[in-house]
Amino acid sequence: MNDALAPEGPTPPAAEAALRIDGLEKRYATGVEALRGVSLRIEPGELFGLLGPNGAGKSTLIHCTTGLAQPTGGAIAVFGHDAIEDYGEARQAVGLAPQEPNLDWFLTVAETLDYHAGYFGMPKRERVERTAELLETFSLTEKAGERTRTLSGGMKRRLILARAMMHKPRLLILDEPTAGVDVELRLELWHYVQRINQEGTTILLTTHYLEEAEQLCDRIAFIAEGRIVGEGTSGELAAEYGVANLEDAYLTLVGRKELSRSHIEVEAVP
Amino acid sequence: MSAAQIRFATLWRREVNRFMKIKKQTIGAPMLETFLYISVFGAALGTRVGELHGIDYVVFVVPGLIMMAFSINAFANNSSSILQQKFQGAIQDQLSSPASPLELLLAFSFGGFARGLIVAVLTFLAASLLVDLPVDHLLVLLPALFLVGFFFAQLGVLIGVRAEQFDDVAFAQTFVLTPLIFLGGVFYSASLLPEPFQTLTHFNPIYYMINLVRYGFLGYSEASIALSLLALLAATAAIFAVNLRLFTRGYKLRA
Repeated sequence: MNDALAPEGPTPPAAEAALRIDGLEKRYATGVEALRGVSLRIEPGELFGLLGPNGAGKSTLIHCTTGLAQPTGGAIAVFGHDAIEDYGEARQAVGLAPQEPNLDWFLTVAETLDYHAGYFGMPKRERVERTAELLETFSLTEKAGERTRTLSGGMKRRLILARAMMHKPRLLILDEPTAGVDVELRLELWHYVQRINQEGTTILLTTHYLEEAEQLCDRIAFIAEGRIVGEGTSGELAAEYGVANLEDAYLTLVGRKELSRSHIEVEAVP
Repeated sequence: MSAAQIRFATLWRREVNRFMKIKKQTIGAPMLETFLYISVFGAALGTRVGELHGIDYVVFVVPGLIMMAFSINAFANNSSSILQQKFQGAIQDQLSSPASPLELLLAFSFGGFARGLIVAVLTFLAASLLVDLPVDHLLVLLPALFLVGFFFAQLGVLIGVRAEQFDDVAFAQTFVLTPLIFLGGVFYSASLLPEPFQTLTHFNPIYYMINLVRYGFLGYSEASIALSLLALLAATAAIFAVNLRLFTRGYKLRA
């Protein structure tokens, strides 16, 4: 079996959360309170979904976890390493595939992977082998020498995912990986995500697509206005909100129950 | 190599790779510019001017041109590279890595330093083919050039981090840096200026940098070498400390 997607390092003790967030707060310099005391625990090996409307705080939570934003309160630990005090170890354990393609235009596809691994301290021989493995896994081998700006949207998405996997992170964070992609690519990305998770990598996935969360995630949390307002399996969340499915639970959360398909169907009956 | 050394080497390599991929613009254009300066101010004007302080005019000008090439390229590389990466978002890949603020700052700094050094060395070699350029005080020249390059590399980082649009970088280079360099005595001796311009020149920090480099090459200086070196060292240390604080705080880099 190809283990190109398997994470590196020993399996941590079961008690150690892959990601533990306690009372996380983030107030931007503009005064916007993006996170208001978020607490979350993701177990090793889980595929965890974070759902919420635009501006709910999903990306801010991810940015605080990966060092792209500085929390104004609370604590984050990645496999037991504090994301502020012990940022080196914490970031070493995390791979990030951001929502917006943020590829370096000056680099080729192969250089993108090689440099990323270098930023994470991977020795050259290992980088060369890993780059070849991931180019193959993500069907990018033929594009290895091309500049990133010449890639199609789908290839950029695959490259971003490959880049996030390059240093063998134990926690992979995918920030809306399928936003704006066509059905074929979405299914392809789902396949990669499931495979990465099956091979031992913990995944935090944010998405707008409820069916994506339902299909892929072991557990899901709803975030709204900077707070976690629901957490559990899709069945547990539906039960918590007293509705039939995850979609209705979400619509209840965002105050748009009238958009529920069951509601519309009932109204349509003469 | 340790993980930290690999991180630093990769961050630095990325900077060098960037400017080498556009070398017509980053190496070729500055070389042509310097060649034109030597041609116009040296060959054309020089024949009229003759000597300055007993030194052939074209030889008098070349150390300043070398210093100017080093400083402008070190500055331009870092300010553009950081701003471009902020625009593209590509800098997030580096910021979310385990690299420390010091590693990031040094890698960016030495990226621009490398470009400045390459252009300065090529300028020196080209000038050496055209004129007989002595190196009188190597032990002053080397630290002086290192400090000049590092100072402007830091200045480029500072402007690149603070900048929000390319206009901010262009403003600093066109309206601040270039006038200071030109008025610092690259093409003339400040002692020949009438008052108050002679006194005003002494308030221009670039004047002391040019003097140091000119002394290293030609053995001629209009200012105290020890004092100039000390002031340059202090200025470089100060701007480095400011940048390190900005990187540690994540100023305009981390939200």
